[in-house]
Amino acid sequence: MEDKYSSNVLSGGKLGMVEVPNSRLTRYIVLLVVTKVLKALGIFESYDILKVVHIVQFIFILKLGSAVILLFFQKPFSSGKVISKRQWIKLLKHAVFSCVISLLGFFGLTLCGPLRTLLLFEHSDVVVIALLGVLFTSSGGGPSKTRGAALFIIAVICLLLFDNDDLMAKMAEHPEGHHDSALTHFLYTAIAFLGVADHKGGVVMLVVSLCLKVGFHTASRKLSVEIGGAKRLYALDNLVSAMVLLPWVIVLSATTESKVDSWSSLILPFGMIIFSVMILEFYVDAICSAKMETPRCARYGAIALFLSALLLANFWTHPLTDQLRSMSKPPQQVSTEHVLSGGVIVSAVFFIMSSSILSSPSKKGQQGTLVGYSPEGTPLYNFMGDALQHTSQSLPRFIKDSLKQILEEYDSRQIFYFLCLNLAFTFVELFYGVWTNSLGLISDGFHMLFDCSALVLGLFAALMTRWKATRIFSYGYGRVEILSGFINGLFLMVIAFFVFMESVTRLLDPPNINTDMLTPVSVGGLLVNLVGICAFSHAHSHGGKSCSSHDHGHSHHGHSHSEHSHGGHGGHGGHGHSHGGHGHGHGHGGHGHSHGSSGGGMNANMRGVYLHVLADTLGSVGVIISTILIRQFGWLIADPICSLFIATLIFLSVIPLLKDACEVLLLRTPPENEKELNSALEKIEKIEGVLSYRDPHFWRHSANMIAGTIHLQIMSDVVEQRIIQQVTAILKDAGVNNLSVQVEKEAYFQHMSGLSTGFQEVLAMTQQMETMKYLKDGTCIM
Amino acid sequence: MLPLSIKDDEYKPAKFNLLLKLSGWFRSILADKTSRNLFFFLCLNLSFAFVELSYGIWSNSLGLISDSFHMFFDCTALLAGLAASVISRWRSNDSFSYGYVRAEVLAGFVNGLFLIFTAFFIFSEGVERALEPPDVHHDRLLPVSVAGLIVNLIGIFVFQHGGHGHSHGEGGHGHSHSLFNGSLNHGHSHGGHDHQDKHSHGGHGHSHGGHGHSHGGHGHSHGGHEEPHCHDEFTPGKGSSKQILQGVLLHIIADTLGSVGVIISALLMQKYDLMIADPICSMLIALLIGVSVVPLLKESIGILMQRTPPSLDHALPECYQRVQQLQGVYNLQEPHFWTLCTDVYIGTLKLLVAPDADTRWILSQTHHIFTQAGVRQLYVQIEAAAM
Repeated sequence: MEDKYSSNVLSGGKLGMVEVPNSRLTRYIVLLVVTKVLKALGIFESYDILKVVHIVQFIFILKLGSAVILLFFQKPFSSGKVISKRQWIKLLKHAVFSCVISLLGFFGLTLCGPLRTLLLFEHSDVVVIALLGVLFTSSGGGPSKTRGAALFIIAVICLLLFDNDDLMAKMAEHPEGHHDSALTHFLYTAIAFLGVADHKGGVVMLVVSLCLKVGFHTASRKLSVEIGGAKRLYALDNLVSAMVLLPWVIVLSATTESKVDSWSSLILPFGMIIFSVMILEFYVDAICSAKMETPRCARYGAIALFLSALLLANFWTHPLTDQLRSMSKPPQQVSTEHVLSGGVIVSAVFFIMSSSILSSPSKKGQQGTLVGYSPEGTPLYNFMGDALQHTSQSLPRFIKDSLKQILEEYDSRQIFYFLCLNLAFTFVELFYGVWTNSLGLISDGFHMLFDCSALVLGLFAALMTRWKATRIFSYGYGRVEILSGFINGLFLMVIAFFVFMESVTRLLDPPNINTDMLTPVSVGGLLVNLVGICAFSHAHSHGGKSCSSHDHGHSHHGHSHSEHSHGGHGGHGGHGHSHGGHGHGHGHGGHGHSHGSSGGGMNANMRGVYLHVLADTLGSVGVIISTILIRQFGWLIADPICSLFIATLIFLSVIPLLKDACEVLLLRTPPENEKELNSALEKIEKIEGVLSYRDPHFWRHSANMIAGTIHLQIMSDVVEQRIIQQVTAILKDAGVNNLSVQVEKEAYFQHMSGLSTGFQEVLAMTQQMETMKYLKDGTCIM
Repeated sequence: MLPLSIKDDEYKPAKFNLLLKLSGWFRSILADKTSRNLFFFLCLNLSFAFVELSYGIWSNSLGLISDSFHMFFDCTALLAGLAASVISRWRSNDSFSYGYVRAEVLAGFVNGLFLIFTAFFIFSEGVERALEPPDVHHDRLLPVSVAGLIVNLIGIFVFQHGGHGHSHGEGGHGHSHSLFNGSLNHGHSHGGHDHQDKHSHGGHGHSHGGHGHSHGGHGHSHGGHEEPHCHDEFTPGKGSSKQILQGVLLHIIADTLGSVGVIISALLMQKYDLMIADPICSMLIALLIGVSVVPLLKESIGILMQRTPPSLDHALPECYQRVQQLQGVYNLQEPHFWTLCTDVYIGTLKLLVAPDADTRWILSQTHHIFTQAGVRQLYVQIEAAAM
């Protein structure tokens, strides 16, 4: 057993923790993980049992069973001090509360199913306290805690809104069937009174009872000190609650007939639940919190619990496990199982993240820097000096900062506004699609999200361009802009290629397109994109020179149209996807050309984004026109032909952009400065004292930076500094603003010619060097 | 006035002889082992695609047609690699003063982007299908994918062999086939062979097998060094080549798993009707491709952005220190170091020296120091400090 688990947990420990030597703790972590898995199993089992056993009876049996076992182990009466009468009363209150909370928890279990219950209800106190601290106090404990709280809330909302659990919906339709008792009925009416849809009531109830549980645990701490230890309290509490529940159970079993066929077959599962849920977990939690810090314990526990719950939820209803359990469990109908849905998985992931965030960094660790450990093993922190400035950057502040940066400059501002518009449109589309359950709209929305990635890329590049040069990127990040333009251009090319392919395929076999939903969506998309075009071409007319390109752009709209994007689905015409709004009809060759000639008026990044938006617009127009054509005349063939046409146009329009970007990336001498540079070189040769120049390299690094290097050979009797200054001035006039000149005097040139030479020789030397390395001798170059 | 030489250049396009040019290209392709292999493989791929296309048109199978288009797309990447390997051998001229060696970096970058793009598409398709598994007509899936694996293996064999041959054959000037070009050649050598035939029900299924891109650095590891070490791939000759070999390993794994995955999923579907196997397989393949491409992309972006070469990261501060310790050197300013193409580093820096310092000595010493660190082309601007 030990061997079996040690390997997997060793790796887990290595991953998670670095601050404490782990070797001693692995044992406890294994124990914790195993316990949590068992607990998840127990909860799933109890869900099954709760289908046949009444909830109050169930809790009674649990409490009684654990009380018996705990009495045996803990011996609360024979050991410790005597309990006074006042304490007994307190204990009674305590027991009543704990009964109510477990009642709520298990009732939530019947409503929501085991997976959701585990996700919602089984958070450790540390997590919930941290969460409440963030929500209701001003000093929540730093940005990371806020993040964790936000994740938690999102997870709950996910469960509330996006969890399409069929069983819950079914239960909402027949609530009467579930009202086994007055208690259930009361809870049901309470939930309905809260104004929540009843099938989501379980979720709300679980959250509320989670808070209650935590409050209860905190309150009971004092009592446990009075009584003499948490374990003793727990044992006594179980006993007292069993006694509290006893009259109710008697009444219940007298008034209602039991659904259980044979109690004897339930002994095993009950024993297992009592063992795993009530006893083992309690002890292991106590041990682990004693041995490691509570937050860590909570983190590992939560992760293990949620993951095992997810796995179990997946396999619990599997036929195989059904066979395994069939002997121990009365058979039942399959239809009433809670299923996994996307919302649950998402929220489970969020829960895991939030609980690890909320429990991981202790508050102390955030304010100071860890300096080491005291001999006892408690961490020591340094609160002095710059540690206070070095807090982790909070998310809101980060957003605020980058927003400010974005809005500072014209280009990025334009892109940002348009991105917002686009995203808003996309989300409206997505939500509407989810709401009306239209697959076409949803997939259209996703395609648009993909389109937004081009904008995001552009925005990011525009931001990154302004980063300062670092030691690693010694020329600065200006090239990001060109790379981004290049990538955008490439994507457009790829898209054009796909459109081309798709339309050829469709030319051979024109599909039947369902045009019902095309028009409103594509008109919306067109409007959005038109705004974008206006914004960007406005930018262009500022940066470059002509507004004519703007008009030019629009003049092409008339005959372009594309539908390519739904080709994959259109073929079998079942649901008729219409991806109109964002069609990648990328047309309009002339425009790209006019940019190409205007040169540096607009940077590559903006050109890429602009072309992309333009192409989207054309796609929208194309879809509208093709819709009209198909509806009015039934010309199905017109669609692929126009797509073909558009694909070609895109290709042509992107080529100049790509060519420019390629030239820059290949370190070409900037074409627009070429003439000036040549004349500058001639001038340099005429400077007095200069014999010749060698290896002149000039290349554009980014939009506003041209770097250059040159070797000069000069006579030995002239002043180097004067010549360097002259050359620098001449080349600066020619546009080179990052220059280094190496001056070599005649004798030196002889000396160095073997060392630093032209590129071809350098390569030969590269290999020479290789051999020299092996000789361990780097000095034999001369 | 006599016509200047530049006039001749202008006239050239008028005398443009397509045949001559083509044969020139052809010769330059065949001159080099790597590009020759690439070329043959491209031909193989193209002919495969054409056979598929014509057969598809003949039998009117939409699946085959769109599959062949996918293969054409794969071929474009192959073509890019080929073009880059030819272009990178062009001589430098006035405009491109460094020559065209960067073409291979660029081609590697483009290919990496395409691979990421493909992986993304496959992944999203896989997710879509995992949620709603379509019934795939798998009658022809198995033979096609097995054929794909065979072609794949041929590709691996040819290129591996090619790489070795190259290393034997050429000595000193094998520089032009380096990491990027190499990786893309090899990368695409496997593109598009396993085309499962999932398209048969009207374009829903894209074939996701053929994009395993493997086996990048062979050309590289053999290209650079002519010494006996050269075809021992695990010689620690350079820091970078080890990295590349890691990438190669990843690529090979991704590729092989891709083909094998398709076959396995085909078998699973045929024997057990496990329809979920197909999307899961394709998602795994996509992930593998994505992961294996990231290092290539990172490196090529670094080079294109004129990053300081990672292999010099540690050597440079030491060099700066040594330069500053030279007699008469006050300060070192604006050091820029960047990679031209694989293993060719270029640097510029400015030295502030005492007015009476021996600049010649400083210059030669500085060159010396940096040459030892591996910077082959150095521009040192010496400025005398004002007194």
